[in-house]
Amino acid sequence: MHIHELNPWRTLIALSAFVVLLIVGFLTMHKPLLTYEKSMSESVAALEDSDAYFYPWQLEDVIGNKAGNIVLFDIRDNFVFGQGHIPGAENMSANNLTREENIERLKALRDNGTTVVLYGEDELHANGPWMLFRQVGFSNVKLLLGGYRYYFEHKDDLAATKNDDSYKKGIARFNYAEMAAPEDGTGVKHVAKQPVQVERRQKSNVAAGGC
Amino acid sequence: MNRNYIILTLIMLILAFGTLFLKMDDELDQVDPEILLQEIIQPTRYVTTDQVAKMIIKGDPSLMLIDVRNEEDFQNYSLPRSVNIPLDSLLNPENLSYLGIKGTKVVFVSDDDIKADQMWVLTKRLGYKGTYVMKGGLNCWMQTIIEPQQPSGDASYADQETYSFRKGAQMYFTGASAESSDDAKVEVQVQRREKSSVAAGGC
Amino acid sequence: MGPLIPNGIIGDGWDFVIAILIGIAFGFILEAAGFSSSRNLAGVFYGYNFVVLRVFFTALIVAMVGIMYFDYLGWLDLSKIFILPTYLGPMIVGGVIMGFGFILGGYCPGTSFTGVAIGKLDALFFTIGLYVGIFGFSLAFPLFENFYNSGSLGNVTLTDVTGIPASYFALAFTVVALAAFWGTMFIEKRVRKNMKQYKF
Repeated sequence: MHIHELNPWRTLIALSAFVVLLIVGFLTMHKPLLTYEKSMSESVAALEDSDAYFYPWQLEDVIGNKAGNIVLFDIRDNFVFGQGHIPGAENMSANNLTREENIERLKALRDNGTTVVLYGEDELHANGPWMLFRQVGFSNVKLLLGGYRYYFEHKDDLAATKNDDSYKKGIARFNYAEMAAPEDGTGVKHVAKQPVQVERRQKSNVAAGGC
Repeated sequence: MNRNYIILTLIMLILAFGTLFLKMDDELDQVDPEILLQEIIQPTRYVTTDQVAKMIIKGDPSLMLIDVRNEEDFQNYSLPRSVNIPLDSLLNPENLSYLGIKGTKVVFVSDDDIKADQMWVLTKRLGYKGTYVMKGGLNCWMQTIIEPQQPSGDASYADQETYSFRKGAQMYFTGASAESSDDAKVEVQVQRREKSSVAAGGC
Repeated sequence: MGPLIPNGIIGDGWDFVIAILIGIAFGFILEAAGFSSSRNLAGVFYGYNFVVLRVFFTALIVAMVGIMYFDYLGWLDLSKIFILPTYLGPMIVGGVIMGFGFILGGYCPGTSFTGVAIGKLDALFFTIGLYVGIFGFSLAFPLFENFYNSGSLGNVTLTDVTGIPASYFALAFTVVALAAFWGTMFIEKRVRKNMKQYKF
């Protein structure tokens, strides 16, 4: 018989060390401030949700204090905010969004049912933070379409923007094919596109050594 | 001796049983939300239409254009060498295999930049590196590359230079006849333009 | 955090250094477990010594369960770990050949080197045979190249194939391994009663 079979204490010590390591791991486990509540596919589908957007003409009620339960957050930096902002908006500049107190603030607002409207210089500016907040479960966060720039241009007559679609995104403003057609008179070509040959990622297939 | 073996066996059994209660995320590998948020607030992901045009003209092999509009719009018009991945079919494994190739720059293109930016956020959440958004999208592409606006006479030198590059690019992409006086100069501009300058037309 | 090198925590150039360190530790543990003796190793096939089974199964279940906990704790990203590609037919044939070699020679490739390290002649001849075999295989490779590359399933895991979560396999495997420990202990006791105690 080999000596270790007579002395299983060593094995016990090794296993205890292993268990202690795991316990330490559980105790020191990093608790994330934010966790995804929407899966990837839910996040993709959620982009179609019109309820997640805030339209410029809706701002009129907010500014006139007629609509309760709505808070505007300006994610531009403090200096630009000081030069002009939507009345009643609070400044929460993009660089500070990850701060714990801001996240706590958003959580508190969500819990008492307040709608949060994010806006930046333009719609693109606030798009990323808005998407992330929706994905981590802040379903009360909305995105102001058009951003501050559109508001600033139309602030005198917000109600009229109801029929305006110049702030809307995802619309082709030109007939691309016609515009980019060769000017030698051949006009628009309607040729079925050939699939482009591009590189794709492959799972690595290198053989690696065993024992 | 047997007592120790019993203890060992029990500990091991409990540990193995415990793995059943570990929450394994079977979903695709994802970036921590906080890190994602920090990346989102950086504006480094935007590239201008001029930069994209330059890369296409130079035939940059590391450039991969991904058009996130729907298939119909894509068939109607698309940038040269671009691949169509509509936003809602991103998670298709077939489509994901275009991303994450080492050394390529993936540029998302849409009508304007919102959809492309949304695509960027989603792919970033999946941990893909080297992805960019074409600022202004195809609308801006039309305004700056396909039909560039001539800057006024007193515009800065940089603006003039951008304009002459765009005229060259316009010729490349549409085959438009350039004004005869510019002809030779334009060719040269396409070759040597190195430093990026402020876009003349605001998008 | 991990895997350390793909995540850039340890630089790319360090992989060989780490390989040497882990190799030394592996050899040390193999020797300490008594794997430098061919009688010990082959004993598992004749039923008088199951130390191979116990050592390998212990290492296996501890590593398996440990990795799953490490993944959960965020210390190791399981999705980034390299998975050997599976070639079904060639692997079965290779396993059979390896088993025959193991019984005949009394060593498996790794353990034969620990045997050489402590000066065992049989291990030395085994390793010479090993290299002759590798040489012969390389020369004859074109003959069975097609078979060598056949039946590729890619880098799959049992979870990929069956859809059953990995933890179920881990639990099942641990139960089987523990049952094997107890079972072989009783077999050993019975067999060894009328056996001379051997020394290494």
